[in-house]
Amino acid sequence: MSSSARIPASGALRAVAESFPNTDVRLSVEQVSYAYSANPTQAPLFTLEATSFQARPGEIVAIVGPNACGKSTLLKLIAGALAPLSGRVLLNGFVTHALPPRERGQRIAMVQQESPLLFPSRAWEFVLQGRHPYSRKLRFESHDDVLIARNALAQVGAEHLSDRWMDQISGGEKQRVILARALTQQPLLLLLDVGAQVDLLETLRKLAAANRYTVVVVTHELNLAGQYADQVALFQKGKCLRVGPPSAVFQRELLEQVFQTPLTVELTSSGRPRVIVPSAK
Amino acid sequence: MRPLTLSRLLVHCAILGAILFAVVVVALKLGAVPVSLYGLVRDLIRVALGQASQLSSEHQLIVFNIRLPRIFLSIFVGASLSVAGASFQALLRNPLADPYVLGISSGASVGAILALIIEPHLALAPAVAALFTPVGAFLGAALTVTAVYFLGRREGQIDSSTLLLAGIISASFLSAIIQFFMATLSGGNYHGMAYWMMGELSTPQQPIVSWILRVGFFIAAGAIYTTAADLNLLLAGEKEAMHLGVDIRRVRIVVYIAASLLTGLAVSVSGAIGYVGLLVPHVMRILFGSDHRILLPTAAFGGAIALVIADTLARTVVSPSELPVGAVTAVAGAPLFLYLLRRRLA
Amino acid sequence: MLHRTNKRNRFAPRKTLLVPLLFAACCFPPAHAQTSTSNPPSSPVYKEFVDEAGRTVRVPQPVLRIVSLAPSLTETIYALGLQERLVGDTDFCDFPPDAQKKTKVGGGLNPSLEQIVALRPDLVLLAKSFNRIETLHALETLGIPSYGTEPHSVQEIISSTERLAGVLGVPDAGAALGVDLQRHLTDLQQRLSPFPPRRVLFIVWSDPLISIGKDTFIADAIRHAGATSIVDSSQDWPQMNLEEVVRLQPDFLVFASSHSASRTSDFDVLAERPGWQALDAVRNRRFAVISDAVNRPAPRIVAAIEDLARQLHPEAFAPRPEDEKEKKNAAAEPLVPASEVGSNAGDSASREACACAP
Repeated sequence: MSSSARIPASGALRAVAESFPNTDVRLSVEQVSYAYSANPTQAPLFTLEATSFQARPGEIVAIVGPNACGKSTLLKLIAGALAPLSGRVLLNGFVTHALPPRERGQRIAMVQQESPLLFPSRAWEFVLQGRHPYSRKLRFESHDDVLIARNALAQVGAEHLSDRWMDQISGGEKQRVILARALTQQPLLLLLDVGAQVDLLETLRKLAAANRYTVVVVTHELNLAGQYADQVALFQKGKCLRVGPPSAVFQRELLEQVFQTPLTVELTSSGRPRVIVPSAK
Repeated sequence: MRPLTLSRLLVHCAILGAILFAVVVVALKLGAVPVSLYGLVRDLIRVALGQASQLSSEHQLIVFNIRLPRIFLSIFVGASLSVAGASFQALLRNPLADPYVLGISSGASVGAILALIIEPHLALAPAVAALFTPVGAFLGAALTVTAVYFLGRREGQIDSSTLLLAGIISASFLSAIIQFFMATLSGGNYHGMAYWMMGELSTPQQPIVSWILRVGFFIAAGAIYTTAADLNLLLAGEKEAMHLGVDIRRVRIVVYIAASLLTGLAVSVSGAIGYVGLLVPHVMRILFGSDHRILLPTAAFGGAIALVIADTLARTVVSPSELPVGAVTAVAGAPLFLYLLRRRLA
Repeated sequence: MLHRTNKRNRFAPRKTLLVPLLFAACCFPPAHAQTSTSNPPSSPVYKEFVDEAGRTVRVPQPVLRIVSLAPSLTETIYALGLQERLVGDTDFCDFPPDAQKKTKVGGGLNPSLEQIVALRPDLVLLAKSFNRIETLHALETLGIPSYGTEPHSVQEIISSTERLAGVLGVPDAGAALGVDLQRHLTDLQQRLSPFPPRRVLFIVWSDPLISIGKDTFIADAIRHAGATSIVDSSQDWPQMNLEEVVRLQPDFLVFASSHSASRTSDFDVLAERPGWQALDAVRNRRFAVISDAVNRPAPRIVAAIEDLARQLHPEAFAPRPEDEKEKKNAAAEPLVPASEVGSNAGDSASREACACAP
């Protein structure tokens, strides 16, 4: 096992999974389905049909689709917060839902729409919370924990926000701080369910490459997915229509059917597809 | 970036402990009967050395049998209420929560009233009779806590907003019952009950009662402290806390039971003393931050200090009469609350 | 997951446990001796009595230092001639005027335990209607003998006074007082027997309208004065509905007041209130005002009863030959006639009964 406590001077975070072989599949979603009904006797209000895909270390998977098609639910299933109706989610061979909360917190980090803070704290306090899965009872954060937190802020470019109050920074800045907290968990898997902004995905790509994270991001921005993701999973009404590299998924007929609007797909100079929706009259 | 360390925590606690000690010495000195500081220190040393029999008996009775137990009662009731208040504010995600918001004090009042009504009809030994009211109050509190727990669950788990609603409704329902019973009480009992509900510390408690209060405080406060780091995360967001490794269900149950125990014990011996559980946590947050690992211990000290001061005022301001300490905390607490409110909004 | 444990933190759990343990040790000081208070150099003689709350009290003999926690008991002590032994009373003990000069221990509900203890009493007297049971328990816990009284009728007031006299070591004075009070009552009953009792409403508080229950000593006092309270409630201080009162149409309204000046003004204020004109008694100005001694279960209540009887049944008090002898005896009585009571300071006497009124 590598010594994760030795922080290189460059500040790059080393995910603990450094020790695992790179080429192995890290995340395996196997025939995962889900159903939710308000009443046990009634028909389900919502269903997620069996979905499968895999992801490797360093890869970014984007889950796209119109509203209420099950994207967020899938993310929760991957995170192990929900138990699938059938199938399973494996992370390095562990079923995510079966992991105890502490273990799960050390492997999976979730970045979501943040609830309003009741008693505002400073950014560094907030980020330091990411070390919680590693702390033992009745102990305070160690010097190493502090260093890891500081480096996390640096990695997301938010070091200057360290002493600011969380309720006094902008939305974009807050998102960076939240991401920094996720990084301090030293996870294998990064899950994001945010609106997704350009610079955030840019940062994510760098981080995923540098620290070998597997990233699954839910977004409604097709072009961001097309530009940054290694794989795209396209959903409609709880059904996964296609999973694959962006060029495979961004097919005009398919997208027009899903999003119910005429559009065109073209290739950018980097070889990635881009979707253009003609402006409404 | 100055993360909390053990040494910082200990230093802050030591400072507050020293303040508490000074306040206790002053409180021992003040009262309807004047006691000189010299005589007091001399007696304290004698007691510490085990020469209690050499004290002048009147001095001993007043200072050690009346004032000192009363001060210890204030310390533990104040500490219990503050820790419970901070815990409920975290559990319910509501800065306006105080230990009584879930109806515990109303339940205790009903229990106390019933005890008061029933007691004359039972032929009890004096020592047992004196215990009847605190026991009745505690049972009332315990039943309320249980009822609110079952009402406040959602899908089998404690849910903050459902719990708060259940508590408020229970408190309201129980208040109506209290009003009904109060209307049926005879004169002396009525006054006694009105006094009890305002919150007062002037009744010396049986030794077993104060012992239970102290032991209960350490057990319950200790249990809550083990979840202190989890509470920090819970307050930052429930969903996020789960992903950060917090066992939300276990933390909620532990905090609910422990904070209810603290409140129940405090209310059983002293009635419903207000504002301490609400305001001391806020003041400590301003001074020391919202990290519960430092907030909980400092709130305990702060509550103890506040209540000792309030009780000393209660028994000296209109000497030889006494004010109920709940009146003092309200008079001091309401303006302070307004100030804190404005400060947050400013 | 690898996580290097910091050497510093390894000791942390022990340290964090140490602090509360130390604190806990300070909070459980060695139990200080719970001594009993009375500390005379010679061992005292005790006599056991059963008080009116059914408790057995060990009273040191003789009782030289008394603290009274109720105005009625203070008055009784003076009536028994034991005022020299009274070392402390409450803020509300205002009759006779000399009682105001005694050391005060606070109110009836919230006396200062320290002050009581500092007075080193042999016995503390409490009245169930004026004091809290917690005060009684507190005194017991401190080992101070306390005796509680709880009379529910005029007869019980008299016997309570006699019993108290026995406890305090002056049974003869008590018996004499009792006989005298009894004589007044019997005489009154003789005068009033030919006449039907008046139906009255005793007004404790007018807004909200509060009267007295049928089991109170005040209701009994009214009965002795040749009247009956129209209120038939088992509560001590029932709140009355004006409509109900109008339906019952009392013959007289009765007020208890300590100020002679406010006698008629109490009634006038009430008469102005909407709805009260529906009462015959209000329209015809049929009301009686008596001293607030009626609110205290003390010997003075008999004088108040007589005063009320005179106002309600003037025809019963037409001069008779035996009255001349009566008047000569009256001059030697320790009782103060009700008409002179009103000049006393403060309406605190009525607080004893009315402290609960909002």
